[in-house]
Amino acid sequence: MSVFGPESAALVVAAAIAATAFWRGLGVFLAQRLDTKGAVFRWFSFASFAVLAGLLARLLILPSGELATVGLEVRLGAAVIGVAAFYLSRRNLLIGVASGTLSFALAAGALG
Amino acid sequence: MFSGSSVNYPRYDGVMKPVDFKGGLRAGMRAALGLPTVVLLGSLTGYGALTHDTGFGAGLAVLSTILVWGLPGQIVMSEMYAAGADVLAIAVAVGMANMRFFPMAVSLMPTLAGRNVLVRFAQAQLMSATSWAYVMRASAPETPEARLGYHTGFTCVCVSVAATATLIGYLGAAGLPKPLGLALLFINACFLLLLLLDTRGRGAAVAVITGVVAGIPINMYFPDTGLIITGLVGGTAGFLADGTSRKQAS
Repeated sequence: MSVFGPESAALVVAAAIAATAFWRGLGVFLAQRLDTKGAVFRWFSFASFAVLAGLLARLLILPSGELATVGLEVRLGAAVIGVAAFYLSRRNLLIGVASGTLSFALAAGALG
Repeated sequence: MFSGSSVNYPRYDGVMKPVDFKGGLRAGMRAALGLPTVVLLGSLTGYGALTHDTGFGAGLAVLSTILVWGLPGQIVMSEMYAAGADVLAIAVAVGMANMRFFPMAVSLMPTLAGRNVLVRFAQAQLMSATSWAYVMRASAPETPEARLGYHTGFTCVCVSVAATATLIGYLGAAGLPKPLGLALLFINACFLLLLLLDTRGRGAAVAVITGVVAGIPINMYFPDTGLIITGLVGGTAGFLADGTSRKQAS
């Protein structure tokens, strides 16, 4: 056991780096051929928003691992509180994130 | 929103936007030192604790944050490693969890100055969901030079903070109360939710709503390729909605 851990762990991290860098590189490669006025470029902007929204759905509604141990009502309830605080504070991100996360921690502590 | 061709640079909330690389760099660093720093400190501390419990070394944990630089994929990686999955299966799962970087890089790179491939690879490697969303906000700089500076400054601060937070979480893993550890995992989802609510324009709004609503059943039935399908469906919906609004406007 060193500062990097067992060899198998190092191999796994290297594989994760490569798997992620692949998508970034592919994006750069395609972007070289695009200009910002074109339809393809616009489609990809919207696809990015949709993928991030899909990721959000996964994190909030279909989480894996530790987050799944907390009930759906706690996750959604905390998210609603965060959104409400965000709009009540005239779109202040800090107040929204702090309210949502704090209520999540309190609910997870009280119910868990 | 993306064109840098106009001569009069608009003001946003009464503040003049930077127009050159150096001004953008400063603005990006300033923006990153606010809420993104708080969120990264929270969420990467949680990741650091997770890597500690799954048997990575501290150096490897920090290295994975800096070089993978996509938290959902990192979490998939450490959870699958803990479960004893083989390297190839982990690589595929991480690739699926982090495939968002492909459309994000395509839509970000043409708005940044310079066509040098090495510069663009570096920017794509530094890019995160947060940096992408911040550069897409109405308050971000508009000229390609200032946008390049802004993204560089923003991401360099983010990576530094995240690496530090990973180490803090790794070293302090044992002392973390469980509800707090869970909240640190939640903070990222809450931040992403509000960033997506803060987007402007009909096409983006339709893409986001479609992505969430259609994303739930899609990801339920296709846990591996769900994000790709969600991107195709939601991106096309947003594109069509944007097209009809353009026609009506003209």
